[in-house]
Amino acid sequence: MIVVSLLLVLLALLGAPLFAVIAASAMWGFANADVDLSVMGIEIFGLAEVPILLAIPLFTFAGYLISESGAPRRLVRISNALLGWLPGGLAMISLAACALFTAFTGASGVTIIALGALLYPALKEAGYKESFNLGLVTSAGSLGLLFAPSLPLILYGVVAEVSIDSLFLGGILPGTLMVVMLAAYSFWVNRHNRAEPGKFSWTEVRDSLWEAKWELPLPVVVLGGIYGGVFAVSEAAAVTALYVLIIDVLIMREVSLRQLPRIMQESMVLVGGILIILAVSLASTNYMIDSGVPDKLFAMVEALVDTRFGFMVALLIFLLVLGAILDIFSAIVLVVPLILPVAQGFGMNPVHLGIVFLAAMQLGYLTPPVGLNLFIASFRFEKSITSIYMATLPFLLILAVSVVIIAFWPELTLYFLRD
Amino acid sequence: MAEQQSGIIARLDRLGRLVENSMLVLLLTSMILLASSQIILRNFFDSGFVWADEVLRILLLWTAMFGAVAASRQNRQIAIDVLSRFLPGRWNSLAMTLVQFFTAGVSGLIAWHSYRFVNDSRIYEDLLMGDWPAWIFQSVIPLGFALIAYRYLVFGLGSASRVIRGEGARA
Repeated sequence: MIVVSLLLVLLALLGAPLFAVIAASAMWGFANADVDLSVMGIEIFGLAEVPILLAIPLFTFAGYLISESGAPRRLVRISNALLGWLPGGLAMISLAACALFTAFTGASGVTIIALGALLYPALKEAGYKESFNLGLVTSAGSLGLLFAPSLPLILYGVVAEVSIDSLFLGGILPGTLMVVMLAAYSFWVNRHNRAEPGKFSWTEVRDSLWEAKWELPLPVVVLGGIYGGVFAVSEAAAVTALYVLIIDVLIMREVSLRQLPRIMQESMVLVGGILIILAVSLASTNYMIDSGVPDKLFAMVEALVDTRFGFMVALLIFLLVLGAILDIFSAIVLVVPLILPVAQGFGMNPVHLGIVFLAAMQLGYLTPPVGLNLFIASFRFEKSITSIYMATLPFLLILAVSVVIIAFWPELTLYFLRD
Repeated sequence: MAEQQSGIIARLDRLGRLVENSMLVLLLTSMILLASSQIILRNFFDSGFVWADEVLRILLLWTAMFGAVAASRQNRQIAIDVLSRFLPGRWNSLAMTLVQFFTAGVSGLIAWHSYRFVNDSRIYEDLLMGDWPAWIFQSVIPLGFALIAYRYLVFGLGSASRVIRGEGARA
């Protein structure tokens, strides 16, 4: 048993697709328990029994389409018009813009490529230091994971069987905390940078807002619709996909009909990659729960740490390591079913666990040696990976502090969920 | 890998890609249109298709499977891949051979066992959406995994031949 597990871990580290590793462990488990392996078919067909999953392809496609349009450029223009005059202002609003963009595009690194590539030269022109700019755009690339309708939040809701609406509410304050802390740092670092604060102009604000008139209603409609209880999440996803399709292809014509099949296909390759892992882990999770793995795990953890405080410390360390080696989607699907019962055993609220989990995984995007954002930024801005490590470090430390605050202050997450 | 394939396999490969891409576009477009018309019908006309939710979930399953097959053709399945970076050329090829044959084997096993599941469902005449045989919709599972297995078998053969010729792995 242990030999097989070690072999599978080795194969995973050598680069075997995760779905194959998970499926192999599930089938091995079922075979040992004398369960007929046709159960794999039943479990995978389970994908068709979770209605909320529909939101995943629809939001992913909308996100891909938005990033191919002129929306990132318009977002930067508005940001500059609104706060470009304040010392550190452009940096602060860049963070907010990236967070908004990531919430809608699902944290697949697309923020750095679409938005960071525009912000980076804009920041440079506004007189910010090179390494500050690099660190900012790299770390802002995954900011916003905690805001609706981000894909990882939805996936956590599916896997943990927690209401997605509560997760969306739970993410608001912790997500804001992360943005505010980085913004405060940006202000502090640039307090002496009075090089040439751009001028504030009402005309530019008006023009830039007018230019984005088609996109501006989107966050209002989608977020208002979800938080206001008008749409279910998968309906909001359908509305978003259709709306973005109409404005980008038919009204603004920034994406031609000829480009559309490629964008659809690329976005669905990502969706296929995520959902196939979810499908096989439906099987492995059921096997593990049947054989009582979470209970054993809980007993083990309880023997090691006996307080909630101790558990939280252990959890954070575990999640940091996890985030450094595993991408966020696989981590949610694989690990959440195991640690959720343990966390609940220690009296932790499932929504709080979700927010802590995602916040900690967000650090994983920036943690050497394998953080995804570091590679994307190094590739996109043609900088050595070590210079990206150094530039990102202060931002990483601040985000780490925010994760600790989020973890030990559950009321922050649960504020909108009282009663 | 193209240069190793004879004309007919290369042509089949191109045809396969075309079918996969078209299916993805078709499936996604249907999901967007069906889901949005459901919302419009419900909110403005107080009606809707009773079968729509079930169809949407089947469309999702098909999208997932076709997307996964398309991901495997570019070797773009989600993987961890931390060790292979540090392996020297020929060892890297060897590791890739191992990993690819392993993936082909696992996918083949899933294909076979899910085929048995679909076959049972056919024999017991399971129905979906009222009176449609369920096996028609379920058969995408064995089909998809069989295609993934085939792709990784081809990758594995390519990597194995590089090990034999003593070359490093290709990204």
